[in-house]
Amino acid sequence: MGFFESSFFWFIEGLFACLAIIALRTWTQDKGIRMPFWKWPVVIVWVLFLAISIAYIGTSIGEGEMDAAFFGAIFAAVIASISGVVVWRLLRMR
Amino acid sequence: METEEDRPRRELRVTRRTLIKAAGAASAVLGLSGLGLCGYQAGKDPDSYTGCEGLQGAAQSFDRKRFAVDEPHYEKVGPTRRADGRTEVIFSRVDVARSAAQMGKRIEDLDEPFRGYYEQHPEDFELDKQNSELRRKVAEDSPENRNRYILAEAWADAMGAVSPRPIGNEPPEISDFPGQMSRSPFKMKSPAATAKLIKKVSYEFGTVLIGITKLNHDWVYKYPSSRRGFAMNEPIKVPKHWEYAIVVGTPMSWDPMYANPNYGTSNDAYSKSRIVAFRLVSFIKRLGYAARPHTPGNSYDLMVPPIMVDAGLGEQGRHSIVITPELGCNFRPAVVTTNLPMSTDKPIAFGVQDFCKNCKICAEQCPSGAISKADKEVIRGYKRYRLHSSKCFNFWNSNHGSTGCRVCIAACPYTRKSNWVHKTALQVTANDPTGISDKLLAGMQKRFYPGPKPSDFYAATLGGKNASYREPPWWLKTEDFIEL
Repeated sequence: MGFFESSFFWFIEGLFACLAIIALRTWTQDKGIRMPFWKWPVVIVWVLFLAISIAYIGTSIGEGEMDAAFFGAIFAAVIASISGVVVWRLLRMR
Repeated sequence: METEEDRPRRELRVTRRTLIKAAGAASAVLGLSGLGLCGYQAGKDPDSYTGCEGLQGAAQSFDRKRFAVDEPHYEKVGPTRRADGRTEVIFSRVDVARSAAQMGKRIEDLDEPFRGYYEQHPEDFELDKQNSELRRKVAEDSPENRNRYILAEAWADAMGAVSPRPIGNEPPEISDFPGQMSRSPFKMKSPAATAKLIKKVSYEFGTVLIGITKLNHDWVYKYPSSRRGFAMNEPIKVPKHWEYAIVVGTPMSWDPMYANPNYGTSNDAYSKSRIVAFRLVSFIKRLGYAARPHTPGNSYDLMVPPIMVDAGLGEQGRHSIVITPELGCNFRPAVVTTNLPMSTDKPIAFGVQDFCKNCKICAEQCPSGAISKADKEVIRGYKRYRLHSSKCFNFWNSNHGSTGCRVCIAACPYTRKSNWVHKTALQVTANDPTGISDKLLAGMQKRFYPGPKPSDFYAATLGGKNASYREPPWWLKTEDFIEL
């Protein structure tokens, strides 16, 4: 079993996710952005979309499907940019 | 008012918060990069070769019970008719047309049953006659083009080199039963336990898929496609001991299959499924019951796809091949008919009929145009998509490498690697009753996973470019290993 299929990999990913969430909380406090409960799922969904898109591009490259990787990247970039602006505006809401 | 004593503490606090933010940002980047690399590994890993993830039944992983139905998807419309194995199986009739072409014979010069068949299907006669000429034109291609397939041809031959002995020409009432030295049949404890046992030993024998059904006599040829104990011009009287059909299936090796035409070979899975079926026959006979193998290639007394449907292994697709949840259509099956009492499996419906109605990728990619883009037709009393076997077989003689084509198998959206992307897509289509995901995923398939132009699959001397669906694997690239 390779590193990327191991439980250790997912443990490290979990650790990174925790650190990122703590950092996000710290950053929003410093910026004076209020984070009521409903904003967290919005951010998490957006990050999950980004994560799945990156994993899809990686998988397509691994499969040798460069067209899929290319179109997947364009599709994801467009959706992530538009939704990113929407998420940012939601975060800035009081 | 801030004092001198407070200043270092504030700076320390700011530093710690900055550190947390920096560590979090770095973690986010590393975490997302890790997912990208994890995805890359998932796409590249040989463990994602569908059907080869593991034996012992591990590869037959789809939860069929959730999708079990009482009736199979094919619709019975009016009176049914059994297929004539002498004429409706392309391999049985094609030599007659070839020799007719050589001798300048017309349809009316042929003997029955071929005259009758070709009178009803004159287009097939013209197509079937062309095969020798097509093969000759392919042979005229440049040495560079022909030599590219030396390793693929050697590999295909090797895959077909090990084969059980044919079953001989005794009638099934003799050849299917254990010899005189065997004892009378053991009394089995229960049909359910027997089915469980048969499935387990079949996995041990090397199968990837297995299903069990009662044999529907409509699937037995009216006349045989090859001898095997039957007279060619006498209707097959279905033996009483053909009560059950056990269907096994094994996949073709992933990378060569994806490089059709024609770096792949059907010999690969044909050979594996044949060996499993013969082992199973031997096992059942040792228990004192009758068993008969129906194996590739052309050693069948029956049609396999509808039996696979009955046995709950999958649904028949537009290309006429059964689509299974695990292997898509990348498999070759074999059947064992037997009187060993077993509990049977139910057919499944996991969305293939709706998907195929809209998708049509196989028909669009088919080099010969053999796969219909039209709706289902009534064929021998059942509704299904038509496959023009003469057109299909003509293309078998229009390309280099091992025999066959298999583009429809490679292009089918269900024939994909066993990784999270394609497994998720399968679950989405199987569970979406609206049909929206079918259209979305078929559209993505066409845009994201395009194949060559159908005409490019032909040999250069027939106007093509010797294209393959994807690049051949490194170990089948002749030019990297042999001085030409």
